[in-house]
Order: sequence, then C-alpha cells, then structure tokens
Amino acid sequence: MSKPKLLILFSFLLLAVILIVLPHGLSYSQREILVFLTINILVVSSYRLLTLTGEWSLGHIVMMGVGAYGSALYTKELGVPVPISMVLGALTAGIIAWGLSFPLFRMKGFYFLIGSFAAGEIIRLLWKRFRDPFGGPKGIKRIDPFPDIDLGFVRIDFFDPVNYYYFALIIVVLCLVILWRIEKSMIGLTFHAVHWQDKLAESTGVNVRAYRTLALVISATFAGLAGTLLAHYIGTVNPNVFDIEQMVFVLTWAIVGGTTTIYGPIIGCIILTALNEIVLREMGLEQGRPLVYGLILIASVLFMPKGLEDVVKKVIDWIKLHVLTGRIKNV
Amino acid sequence: MKNFSSQTKREFLKRMAATISAGMVMGLPKMTLAAGETIKIGFLAPLTGPVAAWGKPGLDGCQIWAERINAAGGIQINGESHPVEFIGYDNEYDPAKARAGASKLVIEDGVKFVMMLGGDTWPGAQPVADRTGMLFSTLLPSDLGPDTSTLIAPAEVHPIYNVTGVQWLAENHPDLKSAVICAQDDALGIPSVATYLAAFEAAGIANEDPILFDAATTDFAPIVSRMISLNTDIICLDTCYTEFVHPLVEQLFQQGYEGTVISCTADFYQQMIEKTSAEFMEGFIFQFPDFDDPALEQDFINFEDPGGFFAEYNNRHPGEWGAVSWEYASIMDLWKWAAEKANSIEPGDVLTSMLESGMGEHAFGTADWWGKDLFGIDQALVGNWPVVVVNDGKARIQEYKWIPGWYEEHGEILKKYFTEYNIMWDQR
Repeated sequence: MSKPKLLILFSFLLLAVILIVLPHGLSYSQREILVFLTINILVVSSYRLLTLTGEWSLGHIVMMGVGAYGSALYTKELGVPVPISMVLGALTAGIIAWGLSFPLFRMKGFYFLIGSFAAGEIIRLLWKRFRDPFGGPKGIKRIDPFPDIDLGFVRIDFFDPVNYYYFALIIVVLCLVILWRIEKSMIGLTFHAVHWQDKLAESTGVNVRAYRTLALVISATFAGLAGTLLAHYIGTVNPNVFDIEQMVFVLTWAIVGGTTTIYGPIIGCIILTALNEIVLREMGLEQGRPLVYGLILIASVLFMPKGLEDVVKKVIDWIKLHVLTGRIKNV
Repeated sequence: MKNFSSQTKREFLKRMAATISAGMVMGLPKMTLAAGETIKIGFLAPLTGPVAAWGKPGLDGCQIWAERINAAGGIQINGESHPVEFIGYDNEYDPAKARAGASKLVIEDGVKFVMMLGGDTWPGAQPVADRTGMLFSTLLPSDLGPDTSTLIAPAEVHPIYNVTGVQWLAENHPDLKSAVICAQDDALGIPSVATYLAAFEAAGIANEDPILFDAATTDFAPIVSRMISLNTDIICLDTCYTEFVHPLVEQLFQQGYEGTVISCTADFYQQMIEKTSAEFMEGFIFQFPDFDDPALEQDFINFEDPGGFFAEYNNRHPGEWGAVSWEYASIMDLWKWAAEKANSIEPGDVLTSMLESGMGEHAFGTADWWGKDLFGIDQALVGNWPVVVVNDGKARIQEYKWIPGWYEEHGEILKKYFTEYNIMWDQR
C-alpha cells in the first residue's frame, strides 16, 4: 500500500477509535451534549448539500422539525414502531420539501432565501395553530423513545446517552458516507455546475430546476432524519425548537466552518458547540456565553474568512508536502 | 473538559456511583450528609435569551436567600448546620438543554432539589426526574400531571391566581363590563387566556374573542389598534412575556388608550412609567408585588424580612426586580421547612414531609396542596394571592384573595375554558 493511502487509513482508524472512546472520557452531561452534537452534524452536513447548488435556505431547520413531528405522530397516533416511524419521518420531510420546491424554485439567490424562510414559518405556524394533531405551541410530549434492545446477556437502554450516541453515530456516519458519495457522483458534479455555471449547464441539457429540487429533497430528508433522532431522544418537540434562532446556529456553523469541503461545516459545528456548551459553561461564564460566543464569531469571520476548513486544508497541504514527500527531514 | 485528577477521591466515587445508578435506571442512592457539608440545590432555568426575565432574577434572589440562610446558621438536619449553595444551569428555554442540565445537576453536581421555570423545558427534564426520583419544582403547574409524582408547583399556580385580579376589579369597578385579551399563542399564553376568560365570565364581564399573536411578533401597533377598536372597558395583557408587555403598554399609551389595563405581570414597571407616564400607569393592575410593600409585613406572611430582601435585591441589581425575583427563594423557604421537619434532604423524604398534612407554608400564607381537578395531581400549593395596583408610580398590594374560594364557586367555568383550549390534564 502506498504511503498516502496508509496515512489515510491510519487517520480513519484513529478517528474511529477516538469516536468510540470519546464518550467514556466525558462527564454525563457532556455525553448528553455529544448526542446533540452528533445529531447537529447531520443537520449541518445535509444543509451543505443544498448549498452546493448555490442556494442557501432558512427553512432547513424546519425540515428537521418536519421529520421530528412526523416520526412522533406516526408513533403516537398510528402506533408505528419507532424505527419505522423514523424512516417515515425522514421521508415525510423529503416529500414536504419536494412540494415546497415548486413555489420556491421560481426564485433564486436572496429571493429563495427569503422564500424558504417564509415557507418554514408557514409550517411552524401550522404546528402552532392546529393543536390536533400537532399539539399547538406546547408541541408533542411523551414521544416514545427508541426501544431498548435486549440481547439476553446485555440490555441496551437508549436513555443512556452513551448508548444513544453510538446509535446516532452509526446513523450519522452512514448518512455522511451517502452524502459524500452523492457529492462525488455525477449528480454532485452537476450540483456544482448548477451553482457556478447554471446557464451553461442548462445549455448542455441539464435540467437545473430538477437538480436544485433533488438537492433540496435529499438535504431535507437527512435533516428530517436528524429530527427523528432528536425527537425520540428528548421525548418532546415544539415549534420553538425549530425556529429561526436555531437556523442561525446552523448557518453560523456552516459559515465559520466553511462549505467547500464536507468536513468544513462539521468542524464549525464541533468547535462552536464545544465552545458554547462545554468550555464557556465550565469557565463559569454561564450568563456571559452569548457575548463571548458573539465576539468569537466576529473574530473568526474577520481573521478566518475562508472558514476553519482553510486551516485544516493548510495542515493537510503541509503534511502532503513535508511528510508524504519526505521533505520533513529538510525542514 | 473537567480535570478528573483534580477531584477528590470521595467526589469521584460519589459521581461514579450516581452515574452508574442513573445508567442502570435504579434511581439515585441515598448519601449520608457529612457534618457541615454543603447542601447543593439546582437552578435549571433560562438565564439568557428572551425568557431570561423569568429565570435570572430568580437565581439572583436565591443567592441572596442563601447568604441570609447561611449567615443565620444554615439548614438544620439532625441537629447539624449545613450551608446551602445554588448551582445554576442555563437551559435557554430549550428542552434538549434542559435534559443536559438536569443530568448535570442531578448526576454530576449531586444536587438534592432542582428548581425550574418549567413550560417547554419540563418535558426535556422529566425523563431524568422519572429515572432518578429527583424532586423538581416548576412555576407553571400546567406541567403537572398524574405521572409527575416528583414535580411540585409550590410558589405560583400560574395562571389560576390571575382570577384574583379580575375578581378585585369587578368588586371595585362594577361599571366595567367588557374586556379583550391579547396573548402570545404559546404554552404560557394559552392557559392564561383560558383563565382570564373564565374570570371575566365569572365576574359578569363580557369577553371579546381573544387576540392571539405569534411569539415572534415585534410590531405591536396593529395588535393594540385592533384591541382599542373593540372599544372595551378593559384591556387584558394576559401572561405576555416581559419583552411584549413593555411595547404593548407603550403602544397603548401612544395610541391614546384611556381605559383600564390588567396584566399578569408588570416586570420592571418603573421602566414602563418612564416610557409612558405616571398618569397613564395609574390603576394598572397586576399580580406581583414589590417586597417593600407594607401589606407583606403581616403575621400570616411566610417570607422572612421581605423589605430587607427587596432592599438588598435592588442594591445588587437595580431596576431588575421582577415577578420571579422572590418566587424561587420562597420555594426554598418551603423546601427548608420540609427538610428540617423530615431531618433529611433526600428528595423522597422532603416531598413526603411537604405533602403529608395537605397544607404548606406559602409566601402569602398557609395554603392547600391542590390541583387534582385541573392538573390530575394535588401538588400545586394554592392559597392567598395579592392583587397589585400602580398608584402614584408605585405598585402596592390592594388586597389578598383566596384562590380556592374562587375555584369552589366558579371552578366549572374554568374547567369549561380549559377544556375548550385542550389544556385539561387528560387532554394533553
């Protein structure tokens, strides 16, 4: 095996070991945050897929909510088993996104951004207005948790954040692989073409609108799946959990991390969540977190306009140049 | 991340035991309280964000309460004094963060009681309460249900006490015959709307259809215009968030409203007077007194030195006195009384001690553990509640009203509206 491939294999193995061992080095509440972080990684990664086509949506977090509400209702109202309801919830988000694509893709750019916000707000208002079945402003409570797994010699209780983290991790890793494969396929290349040269793509026979719709539906489906993971963990959903404030967090993770690579938004999500939920809390800055968080955001945009992924790129380039080519000896 | 090596062996073992027990879903083990050991109390509420006005002032009040109690010898358990300490966690009014916070407070920090604002955040914390048997309190009894056996609502029975303001208004201003209510359409606003509708109907005051607005509303001028156009004698601001009450009142002033205004809260009402005028705010009715009120110096009041508490609070946090500044502290008075009676700080023992006589020492006098009718469980402490009116730029208690008395007479009307809004415990 060549040296670069060995290094990549070693990096992935190391990452896998870290992800497996990680919860055991954390406190109980930090494990809870780790679960939410894992779910949020899926949200922000699925959001990135949409941005590949050049469109930025403000309704993505609502699609997460559609998945959460859908799965909760399938379970509570129809008695569908939780694992199946999670799949159905995700598909529901995709179908709703497909429906929304008809009015939304009559717009582009800034107008699409505003249109997506309006569409998301309409869905949120429907949840609030129709107490039956959505529970109104209080939302839905007592959502069935993911069922325990009894293997005879061991019982896996998904109330335990470590167990749920492993479960969510498997789902999220699978989804990331799928998202990565999509991006590297012809479909992904077409998404890029739609973003950067939409007129040219159209002139070569690419149905630009269909590809934009496809990106919206795929990203919404994965966001919906993230919503189902959240709903069956905390056991409650309400419209405020999926409001514009939460969407701003997703945007921030994407912007601070960068969106040109698949790992950019993930790094943004991890760094900012750890900073906000662990570092600042542990420093005793409980009430000052929004201020410090805001200052760090401003600083990161000023001094790292290409996002945190740019730092990682530079490290990778350095490794390629100095380690893989053996030039480290000359440094 | 915490440095585990910096912990003492005892702390580490306690935490491990608690973690393992939580993981195995066995509830928390009983720990023996060492002589002089600090009793930790959790405070799980929004300390930042739009709902912080009903969290942060409460934590500030609790810090003063703790200092006063510690200076007086602490909490007496089995003849030994124990200082008390509050550990806060900002849940940002988010159920996911409430779950993480509840886990931290109960399993890692080893608190013996957790106080919450409740509402949207309680469902997130409830699984932790169920699994560990930890005693929690809420300010919103609509969180109560037959399955919330370790949850109590001992300070305010929101929104039921709002009936007292309307009752007082009807008795003192019988000429007022119509009202319109506005509220944000959410878990806090709707139960309050149902209560005010019942209270107005019981008082013989005609209700217009309530005007509900989204919690994301920022422009209140159209809402106020619509209310004024209905030409009612009373405008009711329901239980709007502080950041809504202020612009609503400003709009009422700017649009020349001259009728009577009633509201559940009027947090930071001095700022409202500054934005409008003392004349405009004259007669404004709400439910939360300043604690320098002479009416709080009566024998039946179960809050130690309210005037001194109010002065100290204003000294430290000028202009920040609000509805919840004293409430969490008053819950602690009740908890301390029950713990000392039980000679234990274990959640189950304290809860039993609190509930066993069917009555409890509420800040505004001895009250009943009540609520089965509306909430499915008798774990809301209900008794007197004051009616507060702004006179000459200062809020003053006009009268205490006995809530169970009103409910005995008009309970069916309240149940009718609770049912209409799908908020009876068996409809949730």
